[in-house]
Amino acid sequence: MGIELKDIRFSYGKVQALDGIDIRLEGGAVGLLGPNGAGKSTLLKIMLGFLRPDQGEGRVLDYDIRTEQTLIRRRVGYMPENDCFIPGMDAVTFTAYFGELSGMPRQEAMKRAHDVLFYVGLGESRYRQLETYSAGMKQRLKLAQAIVHDPKLLFLDEPTNNLDPQGRKEILELILEISSKKDIQVLISSHILPDIEFICSYVVILNKGRVAAKGELANLREASFRLFELKVKGEPARFLERIRVLGCKVEETEDMILKVYMPPQLERKAIFQTAVEERIQVRQFLKSRTSLEDVFAKAVGVD
Amino acid sequence: MPIAERGYIHWDGELLERRRPWLPITRQGIRLAFKRKYFKFSFFVSLVPAFGFLVGIYAAEKIQDFKLKIEGVSTILQVNPGFFRAYFAGDFLLFMMLMLMVLSGAGLIADELRHNALQLYFARPLTKKDYFMGKAAILVFFLSLVTVVPGLVFIICKLIFSGSFRFLADYPWIGLSVIGFSALVTAFFSFYTLMISSVSKNRRYTAILLFAIYIFSDVLFGIFYASFRNPYFALLSIKANLQQVGAAFFNVKAPYAVSWIYSLAVLLTLCAVSAFILHKRVKGVEVIK
Repeated sequence: MGIELKDIRFSYGKVQALDGIDIRLEGGAVGLLGPNGAGKSTLLKIMLGFLRPDQGEGRVLDYDIRTEQTLIRRRVGYMPENDCFIPGMDAVTFTAYFGELSGMPRQEAMKRAHDVLFYVGLGESRYRQLETYSAGMKQRLKLAQAIVHDPKLLFLDEPTNNLDPQGRKEILELILEISSKKDIQVLISSHILPDIEFICSYVVILNKGRVAAKGELANLREASFRLFELKVKGEPARFLERIRVLGCKVEETEDMILKVYMPPQLERKAIFQTAVEERIQVRQFLKSRTSLEDVFAKAVGVD
Repeated sequence: MPIAERGYIHWDGELLERRRPWLPITRQGIRLAFKRKYFKFSFFVSLVPAFGFLVGIYAAEKIQDFKLKIEGVSTILQVNPGFFRAYFAGDFLLFMMLMLMVLSGAGLIADELRHNALQLYFARPLTKKDYFMGKAAILVFFLSLVTVVPGLVFIICKLIFSGSFRFLADYPWIGLSVIGFSALVTAFFSFYTLMISSVSKNRRYTAILLFAIYIFSDVLFGIFYASFRNPYFALLSIKANLQQVGAAFFNVKAPYAVSWIYSLAVLLTLCAVSAFILHKRVKGVEVIK
């Protein structure tokens, strides 16, 4: 089992950071999304066993988050958001060191450190001092230290920060490959929604300490909106005003395409009916793919 | 086939549940300290007094051979508790211990705060106590090499050179005094160094602070003592307090007319304050910003 949280509540003094989180995640890659202050970090802290929830219960990798924190951390890999290293070390020593701290025997940790450094693309520079590493290399190093002990669950916090497009593509492919292993679960917290779309099939969106949306990405796209692209001829101002009243959200693109987000209960016919009444000629009406950005915006209530 | 092309492969070993999970921290810390050439130099310089005193023990036993050559030396070279106090609470050794702490300990936590490494430690099966133990053990290792190890070697050498156990019969408690005072000095400097190392992210700043507080406390004592001639001002000085307690441990006259209990209380209070500051500065939940 991966992660199971039931009615988790946590507050920092009077500020309610988490308010009844219920999630059950198993296998594959899961995206954890939410605006700043949504409770993502607090949730990760609770899952890693750093904070005890005020209320609720949960298990990570079948260990209790309240009483078996050390056991959780032994089997979890964590890649933090910001740069972190120990000056004076080279990459092999650094990676082996954290492998050893996770419980690997010394010789094994060193051997495995070489392997994972090659795997993340730092093989040639593994004996270089970490102070001389570029931002992108440090990002790869963080991934190496997170996977050195072959964790069952990998927490990745903004894994593509500071990476150039090619580096980002490579890291995403590595993560995708790791998450494709049946026995490794990956939980990614990121603000870069295309990254989440690339890797994850399941997302949890937090907002104000609550789960705003969760589920298979494909289902969320379907369930949240029906997005259509329209090209019209005529003066569209009144038409747009009327379809907004019907509950549609409309965006105009630079190339004069109208992106219309229709609420689930509204029928397409209503759009055509309104167009007829407003003497607007609909020249294109295409069902469009709802992006994760759209789902996210809907879930957290922003445009 | 290149590893990157082989894809992700599992590690087929078993993760150990260590009884001393802090040991890798200590081992790595010692290795990193010895990578610094200034540290290596200081470390060997700090061993000089030990060699000097060892020569002194040899000379004291063979004094008959030297007596005709150097007059008056017999009064200086007497291996007794005062000899041990002179080594352990001597200005030079205390200063060199401070230098060792500056060069090996100033960055122990500061560097990791600066480079956000704490979150990596605490994402492992390590508690805050393990982390501190690992860091403190680095300092304990170096301090022990200039305190308890030479102290016990002195006793053994004295017995070997004299060819009898009379020294131990005269001072049966000397071994315990060596261990006890070494433990106190080591514990004090370890707490002091770790605390100072945790107050800033800048290694240079913490190094200066380590040095400055030690020296300033002694200067302050000097100024007040010169002005008011009150020995209780010795309690302001870290060095004077260590020397007072050292004198008590080796059962010799204290340098200042103040009870050593007060000095011990000052040192223990400083240790407690250091532990409190460390606890506040290094947070186990710093794993995710």
